[in-house]
Amino acid sequence: MRLPRLPLDAHPQLRSPSAIVERGRVLVCDEDAAREGVRSGMRPALARSLAPSVTLLPRAPAREAAALAALACWAGRYTPRLCIVPQAGLLLEIGGCLRLFGGLENLRRKVSDGVREQGYAARVAVATRATAAWWLAQAGEAAQRGEGGKGGKGGEGPCVDRAALPAALDALPLARLADELSPACVARLAGFGVHTLGAARRLPSAGLARRIGMAAVRAMARAYGRTGGDMGDLGDEQVAPYAEFVFPQRFSLSLELPAPAENAVALLFASGRLVQALAGWLAVRQAGMQECVLHLEHRRLPATRLPLRFAEAVREAARITAILRERLATLALVAPVESLTLEAEAIVALPGKSRALFAGESADPEGMPALIERLRARLGEAQVGGLVLQADHRPECATRWAPQGEGGVASPSSPRPLCLLETPQALSEKNGRPQYHDPCPGPLVLLAGPERIESGWWDAGECEGGAESVGDLRRDYFVALSADQRWLWIYRECRASSDRAGWFLHGWFA
Amino acid sequence: MVNPAPQFAELLARPDIWRGRCAEAALPAVASGHAALDAELPGRGWPRGAVTELLCDGAGQGELGLLLPALRQLGTTGWLLFIAPTYALHAPAWAAAGVPLDKLVVVRSPLSAMGRRAKLDALNLLWAAEQALRSDAPAAVVCWSAQADARAVRRLQAAAAPSHAAMFLFRPRCHAAHASAAPLRLALMSGTDGALDVSILKRRGPPLGRALSLTLPRPALWRPYVQDVRHGVTHGSTLARGASAAPAARRPSPATLA
Repeated sequence: MRLPRLPLDAHPQLRSPSAIVERGRVLVCDEDAAREGVRSGMRPALARSLAPSVTLLPRAPAREAAALAALACWAGRYTPRLCIVPQAGLLLEIGGCLRLFGGLENLRRKVSDGVREQGYAARVAVATRATAAWWLAQAGEAAQRGEGGKGGKGGEGPCVDRAALPAALDALPLARLADELSPACVARLAGFGVHTLGAARRLPSAGLARRIGMAAVRAMARAYGRTGGDMGDLGDEQVAPYAEFVFPQRFSLSLELPAPAENAVALLFASGRLVQALAGWLAVRQAGMQECVLHLEHRRLPATRLPLRFAEAVREAARITAILRERLATLALVAPVESLTLEAEAIVALPGKSRALFAGESADPEGMPALIERLRARLGEAQVGGLVLQADHRPECATRWAPQGEGGVASPSSPRPLCLLETPQALSEKNGRPQYHDPCPGPLVLLAGPERIESGWWDAGECEGGAESVGDLRRDYFVALSADQRWLWIYRECRASSDRAGWFLHGWFA
Repeated sequence: MVNPAPQFAELLARPDIWRGRCAEAALPAVASGHAALDAELPGRGWPRGAVTELLCDGAGQGELGLLLPALRQLGTTGWLLFIAPTYALHAPAWAAAGVPLDKLVVVRSPLSAMGRRAKLDALNLLWAAEQALRSDAPAAVVCWSAQADARAVRRLQAAAAPSHAAMFLFRPRCHAAHASAAPLRLALMSGTDGALDVSILKRRGPPLGRALSLTLPRPALWRPYVQDVRHGVTHGSTLARGASAAPAARRPSPATLA
């Protein structure tokens, strides 16, 4: 997979038209610039006179390398074996995973669509040898450049199987491989009338090696997949000409924005590449994560930390993006954002899911954990949770709020209301009888009771989580019925010293 | 040529075809646990994939007790989601009622700066309910909303229709006079004798003229203490006043105490 516009595409969300300049010449430009007549190799002054609105940027090798590393992580979802070709593209070994992704055509479409979605122009070629695939992609791209004179929008390169590979390679014009074999070597071959790769291959290899150098002959041998025979013995031959990409131990990826972003929508789009890379990286490690942090860096102010928590270990990019969208929508930016860093935390092993044997078995596509984390992302971490039984006789302490509810067996000997008031509500007293307030004022009828609930001195006066603990109490609880037939749980404060004496409404038998 | 008869039968089985009195056309439903109510509900229970509107004012009338059997049943296989309950839920009571707490998820309103719980604003509440229905993850969604208007109910119904969840929406009784998109609307009011009077304001099928009186398990009926009082046994001296104020019968009425 070649990325012909990588120097340009490494800057996400550039305003069009734009072009990259290296050593005083336009290296690559986008479509709008090309339409106005900008060509690669032009001087910047000429480019600017042709297209006054063009944005000219210097080439940023560090940024390109970062973009390639992110893309390599992303590609981890398809194959764990891949190589980065510096400043140019990626080589993916897909032989082992064709079945998993439903055949070559499907996988190829997925890869090229995925790259395009992230805003890269890519040219994908498939062959049984890495070097051959690379050359085919390269030659196709060069041909496109030759015809259209444009930077090359990318597209589908050829897809060649083992039997057709030598023929396809033979037809490649050497002029288009100038970047791979050195230009000098291509010129020398042209000097003795060899213009295609096929013609060069048919020359005796020993003589050819003397004339154009061992490296070029070796590269040709790698492309054809021959280590012996008429090409001579070239010793041990590795499958890929580049070192295999090693996935990092810890995921932390930065993305510098070309212009400070002031709204959340732009941030969401820009962070898409990071999220895609994270999802691929998790897939390679057969892991899921429960938490990741997006750092939004500003020019002067300290970075904003945006933690994303998940109810269960996740790996899918869509789920991460859904949470990110909610969090960004509610985020108030303190300053324009200059760059983004995504870090994964709380990594846990997450084995792949088996697919259902029969269609229609997967009725629950995302399930409750996904819903819970989406609700949490918008409403707040503490607002969504479950109930846990607490072994405490005081009603206020019998329920504990927890992130996840826990089952338990409760067999209270006396009735307990389904609903409890967080702070008991004082009731007036008339003729020694508790009175119900509106909407239907009148005396309350006591149906059952009293049930004495008392003591709790052990946590008196303590504070937990900012709220004062319940502490010591002495109450007589009754089940009461109001005049409009509502069922209440009321108590009478029995502590003589208490400043809150009298009757209180504490719950509803709803 | 295909035989038209089975096609016609299939057509009649569709839930959106109304067939007069034949309300029992197979609608996905979950038994409410109250035989008298089940007999009157289309589908013989609370509908799934539809909004059920429960109109009631205040608490303590047995409005949750009405749902308990269905929630108990739905909780065995699926998740229960409670959105913005008016009062805090008391876990021991729910556990004792047989609702599995590990399947219960509650969305509560945020704590305001004053330390009191503010109302979850209508927009977020509606959003949460809609998300829940669209994800089709919970088996039952119970939502308390005083602010939900007719448009909100219509949106909820649209979200509920493709799902399998039973959606219960508690609203104040003042909405009874207004039109609503919910296919089933019940007005709840506590009756005498610890019963709950349920009038079906709207259902698929012919209107029901009378109110149903459902008997719900009530706390005082479990207590042996009330009977002791009836037999003239007084308990405890600390609260002699309270005990003597207790009614002489299982069926209390303010008149006996006046």
